[in-house]
Amino acid sequence: MTLQQRLRQFITVSSADPDDARRRQLLNIFLVLLGLIAAIAIIADLALWKAQEPQEALVILVGSLITLIGLSGLYWLNMRKSGTLAASLFIFFLLLIFSFSDSPKEIVDGRSLWVFVVPIILASGLLKSWSSFIVAAFSSGIIVVMALENNLFPNLVALFLYFAMAFISWIIASNLERALAEVRLVNANLDRLVQERTQALVSALGRERAEAGRSRAILESIADGVIVFDLRNKATHVNPALVRLLEIPEEKLSAITVDELSRAPALDAKNRGILAGLLAASGKQISSYRIQWGKKTLSVSAAQVTDINGERIGTVAVFRDYTREAEVERMKNTFLAIVSHELRTPLNAILGYAEMLKEAIYGPVNEKQVRASDRILSNVRRLLDIVNDLLDQAQIEAGKMTIQMQPFQPAALLENVIEIMNKTAADKGLTLTSELDPELPQTLTGDPARLQQILINLTNNAIKFTDRGSVHIRLFRPNKKQWSIEVTDTGVGIPEDELPHIFEAFRQADSTLTRRHGGFGLGLTIVQQLANLMGGGVTVKSKIGVGSVFTVTLPLVVNAQTKRRKT
Amino acid sequence: MSELGLVVEDDLDLAIIFSEALQAAGFEVETARDGQKARDLLTTTIPKVVILDLHLPLVDGPSLFEQIRSDPRLKETIVVVATADARLAEAYQDQADVVLIKPISFTQLRDLSQRLHKE
Repeated sequence: MTLQQRLRQFITVSSADPDDARRRQLLNIFLVLLGLIAAIAIIADLALWKAQEPQEALVILVGSLITLIGLSGLYWLNMRKSGTLAASLFIFFLLLIFSFSDSPKEIVDGRSLWVFVVPIILASGLLKSWSSFIVAAFSSGIIVVMALENNLFPNLVALFLYFAMAFISWIIASNLERALAEVRLVNANLDRLVQERTQALVSALGRERAEAGRSRAILESIADGVIVFDLRNKATHVNPALVRLLEIPEEKLSAITVDELSRAPALDAKNRGILAGLLAASGKQISSYRIQWGKKTLSVSAAQVTDINGERIGTVAVFRDYTREAEVERMKNTFLAIVSHELRTPLNAILGYAEMLKEAIYGPVNEKQVRASDRILSNVRRLLDIVNDLLDQAQIEAGKMTIQMQPFQPAALLENVIEIMNKTAADKGLTLTSELDPELPQTLTGDPARLQQILINLTNNAIKFTDRGSVHIRLFRPNKKQWSIEVTDTGVGIPEDELPHIFEAFRQADSTLTRRHGGFGLGLTIVQQLANLMGGGVTVKSKIGVGSVFTVTLPLVVNAQTKRRKT
Repeated sequence: MSELGLVVEDDLDLAIIFSEALQAAGFEVETARDGQKARDLLTTTIPKVVILDLHLPLVDGPSLFEQIRSDPRLKETIVVVATADARLAEAYQDQADVVLIKPISFTQLRDLSQRLHKE
């Protein structure tokens, strides 16, 4: 601890009231200074003892010692007890000393008249600022009393000047106090502000860290590979899944550029182009492609990363291992090809032999044999229909079914369907009727093969679920821009809760019905998918025990450019 | 002398059925169960009708189709393409005289052959 610090500690008083502390500190300064003077006086007195009159030297020694003891007492009082009391006593003693330090004449109207200014000024600094007036009054009282006792006239100008001095020191002291109070207030406000800001910053940082930590944890733990590029196309974030997926060391991957990634040896020329294009041209919408990464098939999605103001700040790409799915897809296609060939070829053979038997190619046949051949034929045809439905369904789902637009006559289409379905309806004892809206143009543009498929599927379905009554097919024009196919039956109807699901593949209302009526329930799915492919849709209305109405509505195209069937 | 029909089909049963249909329509029938045999028969005979499956061992259907079309001796030959593949059927729609999509019914082929035989 330096001397200065020691000294400061020696004079500093701790107090809840900053003004009190300041005043007591000021008093301590005076006490210490006076104490020093007294100490010097003692030392000097002792040093010059021989040169003085013994009595005089003794008086100085005793006086200085008493002063020193008094100052120590005041110091103790000031430090430990009350500053106000200490200061009051200090000033009181000053006045006392001043009152007896000179001849009364000098005090009342001479050289010592002005020493009283000292306690007046000190009072406003050591006590409340207004106490200078009390000391001024006190001093005035002393002067007046002394003057009267010694038959002198008090110096009124001096008395006035005491009060003037008291006034000035009161003004200065009170202004000082106010200024200090303001400074303290400002400081306190500043402190509070700094504290608040610090607190806010600390909690914001904490939140941010927690948020970032959570995002990072999510990024680290998801199974898909994620990479984020900044605007200079350099990677800023890479998760462990991507490291595993791409089999590139993390040190290399974590700072890889779009260019470097697109030139990876695991990619062939075509896939390099796809990846580079995908990462370079990513828009706000997510775009996805499949690429071949070595032996793996990856699905890559990329999109822009934007900040809260919508400013682009980079690109994010998500890599998913699609190898197994791609394998399953390949197997499914292979399976379908096998079904297509291997299942249909023997069915074709059964169909042919049954026909030949029935046609008596191998010799005469009796009626029972003809009927048996018919049963074989109808069962084989049913089986073929199922196989064809499965294949159609698979083709539509794989996006391989195409619509060939060409002009056709609705009347001919309707006639053709009636011809094909008549026998099926008649076999069940149902009447099959048809109706053609005269509003419908004679020639429309569409895919007649697919339209026939829609009509046959709907009619087949209607016949399948109708035990008595009729099936009615109607082609009409509900408005200028559309035309509709409507098939109405008087069948069992569909329960209301099943209506939303009847177009789903492999689902048919009530499995007991399915067992009784046969079929996979793919017909309606195909109708819906074909209608959608043609830009239309299908709706159904049904009531249990009354029947169902299926309506396919399609855009009416009359003079569209005909697409030629060509290789 | 009756006219010749050539059945090119690798599946034994379909080959029999197609042959029977042609015979029922009055054709004399030769059968080839692979592309090579069909190629040989096409260089030694002049069939009026060829029922041509497109998936064949040794020499494939499209090559045989090209052979028939480029051989001036066979310019009168009617080619009936038989396939289960709808896209292939589409492709031959304009080139072949008739395109049949499998499954092919015996009566359907017999009736077609009868019409062709009368021509």
